[in-house]
Amino acid sequence: MPLLLLLLWLSQATLVPEGEILVKGAVPSASDASTPVPEEGRIGEGRYRNAYFGLTYPVPAGWIEQPAGPPPSEAGSYVLTQFALLDGERVKAHVLVSAQDLFFVPFEAAGSKDVVARMRTMVQEQYAFEKGPDQVTIAGRTFERLAYKGRRAKLHWRMFTTETRCHALTFTFTGSDTAALDAAEKALGQVVLGGDAPACVNGYARDHLVQRTTPAFQQRYNTIPVRVIIDAEGKVKHAHLLSAFPEQSEPILKALRDWRFQPYVVAGKAAEVETGLVFGRPPSRVAP
Amino acid sequence: MRLRRLLAVLFLALPAFSQVDPGPRGGTADAGGPLPSVAANNPVTILDFFDNGKEEFEAINSVFGTIPGAPDPGLGPRFNALGCARCHAHPAVGGTSPATNPQVADATAAGATNTIPSFITATGPVREVRFKYFTDAAGNPITTQPNGGVMPLYTIAGRSDASTCTTTYIQQPNFAVAVAKNNVSFRIPTPLFGLGLIENIDEGTLQRGIGGSPYPVGGTFNRSPNDGTISRFGWKAQNKSLELFAGEAYNVEQGVSNELFPQERPHPEENRDGMNALDPRCLLNPTPEDHTNFNAPADETPSDTVLFAIFMRLLAPPVQNLGNPVTNPNFSRALNGSNIFIDIGCGSCHREKFLTAQSSITPDLGNQYARLFSDLQLHHMGTGLADNIQQGNAGGDQFRTAPLWGLGKRRFFLHDGRTSNLVTAITAHQSAGSDANPVILNYLALSASDKQDLIYFLRSL
Repeated sequence: MPLLLLLLWLSQATLVPEGEILVKGAVPSASDASTPVPEEGRIGEGRYRNAYFGLTYPVPAGWIEQPAGPPPSEAGSYVLTQFALLDGERVKAHVLVSAQDLFFVPFEAAGSKDVVARMRTMVQEQYAFEKGPDQVTIAGRTFERLAYKGRRAKLHWRMFTTETRCHALTFTFTGSDTAALDAAEKALGQVVLGGDAPACVNGYARDHLVQRTTPAFQQRYNTIPVRVIIDAEGKVKHAHLLSAFPEQSEPILKALRDWRFQPYVVAGKAAEVETGLVFGRPPSRVAP
Repeated sequence: MRLRRLLAVLFLALPAFSQVDPGPRGGTADAGGPLPSVAANNPVTILDFFDNGKEEFEAINSVFGTIPGAPDPGLGPRFNALGCARCHAHPAVGGTSPATNPQVADATAAGATNTIPSFITATGPVREVRFKYFTDAAGNPITTQPNGGVMPLYTIAGRSDASTCTTTYIQQPNFAVAVAKNNVSFRIPTPLFGLGLIENIDEGTLQRGIGGSPYPVGGTFNRSPNDGTISRFGWKAQNKSLELFAGEAYNVEQGVSNELFPQERPHPEENRDGMNALDPRCLLNPTPEDHTNFNAPADETPSDTVLFAIFMRLLAPPVQNLGNPVTNPNFSRALNGSNIFIDIGCGSCHREKFLTAQSSITPDLGNQYARLFSDLQLHHMGTGLADNIQQGNAGGDQFRTAPLWGLGKRRFFLHDGRTSNLVTAITAHQSAGSDANPVILNYLALSASDKQDLIYFLRSL
């Protein structure tokens, strides 16, 4: 019997696992595991928590977590989490929590208002607008609101976008059940957002670089967006590569350890600052 | 008025049912002919090249071209099928898997002694197979050594035209063990209709498709490692041009060496140490086996590979067929489905159309809308569809958005042909890590009637 168990174990041990992504392409990585990154949210006790954004989102009662989103895109787009309210097999309503890094957005956008304005432009032909874009205050924060419905699909979309850490953070509620959407929208009033975070400044690294070592990484013609936190001495304290192949990440992270910047100064005092860099292929830009 | 009343009755009579895929659309093929300007022979002689390309595409290969009915030389020593049109067959030459899988008959053609692997069946999809990982002597996957290359199903051993190449010198890979170890992933043939239009979309036009969606669906292009330009053919957009696509397929699928891939191809495990381990007794022809014909008339001068590329380039795109508005009870529902398709965000990745660039080849390749329903970008498709094969910049769960034109006729769906049911194919887009998750939730939020309309629309393509 022990021999049989051993043989069974050996045969199982060499099985290629099912339902796993084993051969990864470009993936996110970071210089350390202790500094929060946007894609690492957690769900527990009826709440979605994201340490990077200082976000606590109470999941509406009865809504169920949906399959995780993809890794961040090379244009800085994140699917943070999704929940749905089900009626048998049918989805009555669902919420998508997403973020767009404003350092790497592929169109001109100075802030979340511009992101929502572009969204309006994209949907205007196909959908009928119900509300917005306008500004509403939820949980003490300003959100850009845009609500529209399908002309054929009997679905409603309600989007609420706010800006945090130079990201446009969006809650999109979708469904045909307006009562469920109302309840979910109400629950958004309990969202908690913010906390201690360094200032974020677009272009700071480009404009204040004083020393750099060129990383020798394999050219794959991909875009490698990197968020860095620069400490008060002008060194890279933390680097987060949103999308890079493993053989690219290591030399980039190694090189960044040698980079130096002019310290970011607030009220005469050096402080941490968060900014963006791009390696590899320059990001694609789309026409306004 | 009568039609409206009829439609109203039909709508009211709609039962509360799960969605039903009516199956491949019947009637005419709605694909397989040349572009109209090619049919009009503009420029002069182009139709001859198309016809010759089609003829070569349909030709059967044997080792020396001496077997009756198999006049093209170069088969093997490893192969998946005896000719291009064996697999690219439905609903017309240039398409994809036919109702009867030709790989069953090809296994033993001309006396070959191949064993048919369990995943090849008479009514199943045509498949090529890749091993996810290299294996040890017992066939166990070595998970530190990704493989990913095509492992051809068959060898020429036993064939009457390959007397020196016996099973002593060449063997099929051990597919039974690979299947038992879950070390296999499959691909079905991609349809080839309209590829000349896809080839002729300018890079700037494709790039302007980025960021055009209200959904955070990501997406990136696969790129040629040689020059960094966008590649666009194959399940992972791994091939840059139709010529490369044809040359690689001729070499990998039929074992015919050619001017683009000049050597006979060992399977990846035979070539593991950089040593081509094919036995000389199985290397029966001078190479390349397919080449330019220097002493032939102009339209027969190009190699088979070039003629294949010409044939693919000049094939007209599939024609959408909604049927007759009076006699097809689902006509208006399919039209509604086309709007549902956009409303719920399918068009974020399955982008309806791109305008092609000017063409130097024939008028109907230039300044035309290619209604391919694809952004030609790579998207993450999640754990459910991941094949764990890397090709270029495409990782283990990334695939090119599959063009949907011609979908109405298709018998098998998804990269591995795992389903013949369109509804199953749609919901398979949802799994952990998939770009499509938000859109599939929209689909699942639709009424039963709207979901069905979407299916009718897709079956009209």
